[in-house]
Amino acid sequence: MRAIKILERVIATIPIMFGVAIMVFLFMRLTPGDPVDIMMGQGGAVSAGEMERLRHEFHLDQPLSIQLWLFLKDAFRGDLGYSYVQKRPVIDLIVERLPATIELALGALIFGLIIAMPVGIISAVRQNSLLDRFSMAGAFLGISMPAFWLGIILILVFSVRLHWLPVQGRIDHSAGLQEVTGLYVLDSLLTGNREAVASSLKHLALPAVTLGAGVAAVVARVLRSSMLETLRSDYVTLARAKGASEWMVVLKHALRNALIPTVTVVGLQIGVLLGGNMIVETVFGWPGLGRLVVTAIFNRDFPLVQGTVMVYAFTFVMANLIVDVLYTYLNPKITL
Amino acid sequence: MNSIQQEILLELRNLSTVYPTKRGLVRAVDGVGFSVKRGQILGIVGESGCGKSTVLLSILRLIRRPGYIDQGQIIFRGQDLRGLSSNAMRNIRGREISMIFQDPLSTLNPAFQIGQQIHESLRLHQVIDGSRSLGPLKMGQRAREKERVLEVMTEVGIPSPVDRYTAYPHQFSGGMQQRALIAIALVCEPALLLADEPTTALDVTIQAQILDLMRRINQNRGTAIILVTHDLGLAAEFCDTIAVMYAGRIVEQGPVDDVVANPQHPYTQGLLACRPRISERGQRVQPIPGNVPDLAELPPGCPFAPRCSYQRGACDEGPIPLVSTSLGNISRCLLHVDYRRQKDWKWTDRVALEA
Repeated sequence: MRAIKILERVIATIPIMFGVAIMVFLFMRLTPGDPVDIMMGQGGAVSAGEMERLRHEFHLDQPLSIQLWLFLKDAFRGDLGYSYVQKRPVIDLIVERLPATIELALGALIFGLIIAMPVGIISAVRQNSLLDRFSMAGAFLGISMPAFWLGIILILVFSVRLHWLPVQGRIDHSAGLQEVTGLYVLDSLLTGNREAVASSLKHLALPAVTLGAGVAAVVARVLRSSMLETLRSDYVTLARAKGASEWMVVLKHALRNALIPTVTVVGLQIGVLLGGNMIVETVFGWPGLGRLVVTAIFNRDFPLVQGTVMVYAFTFVMANLIVDVLYTYLNPKITL
Repeated sequence: MNSIQQEILLELRNLSTVYPTKRGLVRAVDGVGFSVKRGQILGIVGESGCGKSTVLLSILRLIRRPGYIDQGQIIFRGQDLRGLSSNAMRNIRGREISMIFQDPLSTLNPAFQIGQQIHESLRLHQVIDGSRSLGPLKMGQRAREKERVLEVMTEVGIPSPVDRYTAYPHQFSGGMQQRALIAIALVCEPALLLADEPTTALDVTIQAQILDLMRRINQNRGTAIILVTHDLGLAAEFCDTIAVMYAGRIVEQGPVDDVVANPQHPYTQGLLACRPRISERGQRVQPIPGNVPDLAELPPGCPFAPRCSYQRGACDEGPIPLVSTSLGNISRCLLHVDYRRQKDWKWTDRVALEA
C-alpha cells in the first residue's frame, strides 16, 4: 500500500520537472546577455559570420518556441544538450560533479544533525540551565553567520594558522583512491584505503562544518522547542506514572513526538544545503555542481544551467518525498 | 467487613505541596491527611484549582518542577514514599499505584499503538516471568505478555482486542481511549488506582459505563480507588468516603452517607445546594456566591469565609482546626466547634479545643 503511494508520488514528479524545465528555460532567455557575445568577448577578433554560425549551431537563431520544443524533446529522452563553453554533453558534466555535491551536502547534514540532536534534547531537558543558554546563544550565532564568512574564518584558523586541515580540494591524490561511487569518504571506506579515509575526511571537514553550521543551529532550536512542548504533555506524565525511567521518558515518549516538526524543518534545510553549496564550494574550491552552475550562469551557458537546475529541482523534490514518507512512520495520523 | 479490608493501604499525613511563583509560594496542597483502606473508594471533591489533582500527583511524586512536596508523609504499605530512591519509586509507579487521567486523547501517546502502550507497563515492571530468558524463551515470554495485554483489553471492555492492539489512539473514540488508559493502569494489577476526573471528558452514557467498569474492578480485584472529581453527586454514588477540598485543604471528610445527608461544613452544604435535582422541580439552584480564592493570597483564617453565610469575626483570625463533629464527620469550621456552647467564642479558646 505504502509502496504504491510512493510510486504515485514519484510519477507525480514528472509534471513538476516539466514545469521546472519550462521555467528555467524562460528565465535564462529573459536574462540579458547573449551567450555567443560573452563567449567571443575576450577574443574580439571574431567575424560576424563565425558568430552567426555558432548561433545557428546552438539553435539561438530559431524562434523561442522552437528552442523550447527542442529542449523539452531532448530533455524528455534524457539528453540535456551540449555545454556551449565546455563543448561536452551537459549530462557528463553533471555526473562528474554531482558526487562531490552530494558528499558535501550529506557531510553537512550529518554534521548538523550530530550537533543539533543532543544539543536540542539536552537544552530542552535542562531548560534555562547554563548549557541551554550557551547552546541557544551558539545557535543564534550559527543562524546569523554568513557561510562565506564562517568558511574564511575556519580556513584562517584551521588551515592557515594551525595547519591541521587542507585549504581546498577533496582528497590528496597521493592517497591513490579508487573511485566507486564518487563519494570519496564512502569510496575509501569501501576500498579499505585508510590513508584515503583520513585524507578525504580532512578535506570534507571544513566545508561540511561551514555548510552544516546553519542546519545545526536551525534544527537544534526547533528540536528544543518541540521537546519543551512534548515534555510538558500529558502522555509524558503518563509515561512517568507507568514507572518509565527518565531517559526512556525523554528519548522514547517525548523525542518520538518532537521529531515530527523537526523532520519537516530538516527537509526544508535540504534546500538550504543545495543553495548554500554554491557559496561554500566556491570558498573551498570544492569541485561540485554549485561551482559548475555559477560559472555556467556567468557564461550564459544555457544548456548547462538548465540541466543543473533540473538536477537541483529533482533532488529537492526527492528529498521532500523522503521527508513525507518518514513523516508517515513518525506520525500515524498522517498517510501519504 | 473482614480484617483484610481493614488494612490501611495508603495514609497521607499533613501533606503540603507548594509551587514557587513570582507572587510568592502557592500552597496548592496544604496539610492534607487521609487514609485509604484496601478495597476502599475515597472521593476527593472540590472546585477546579482546589489542589485535588495535585494530591494525586504528589502521591506518585510526579509534581513538576518548580513545584515540590514541602512536608508531610505518604505512607504506602507502611513505608513513606517520600523516603524512597527514584528507582524504588519507579517500581511503585504503575506497579503498585496506577493513575488514570482526565483527558484520554492527550494522555495516550499519539505515536504508539494502543497495545504497545499497554504492553509497556507490563514490560517495565517485568510482571510476566521469564525476564532473564534468552532467544526462544524470550519469545514465549513475549507471547505470554501479549496474551495478558489482550486479557486486560477484554476486561476493560475493548471489543475485538486482537484487531485493536495495533490501532493508534486517534482511531479510538473517547470512551475507548479511556478504557485503554484504564487498561494501562490495570495491566500490572496495582493495589491502588488514582483516578483524576476520569469521566469529565466523556459523554454521560460513556461516563456511566466507565464508572461501572471501575466499580467492577474495585469489587473483583479489591483495588482501592481514589477518585478525584468536581461532581459531588458522582462521588456520592461511587465512593465509600468523601473528602471535600477547598483552597488546598480538606474542609470536610467522612463516610459518604454522613457527608451527603448531613453536610457539616458550609462549603459542602453550598456544593450540595447548587446541584440541580429533578425531585425538587421549580426550586432554584443556589450557587455559592463569590469566587475561588487566589492561592497566592490566602487570608490567615478560613479561606472560605468571604463566601460563607455563617462568617463571623473569629473566622479571619487564624487557621481553623479540623475537628470531629457530633456526627462522626470531621470538618474544618468554627461553626460546630463552639456555636452551640457559647455564642461569643474567643480566638484564645481555640488552643484548648485543639488539645
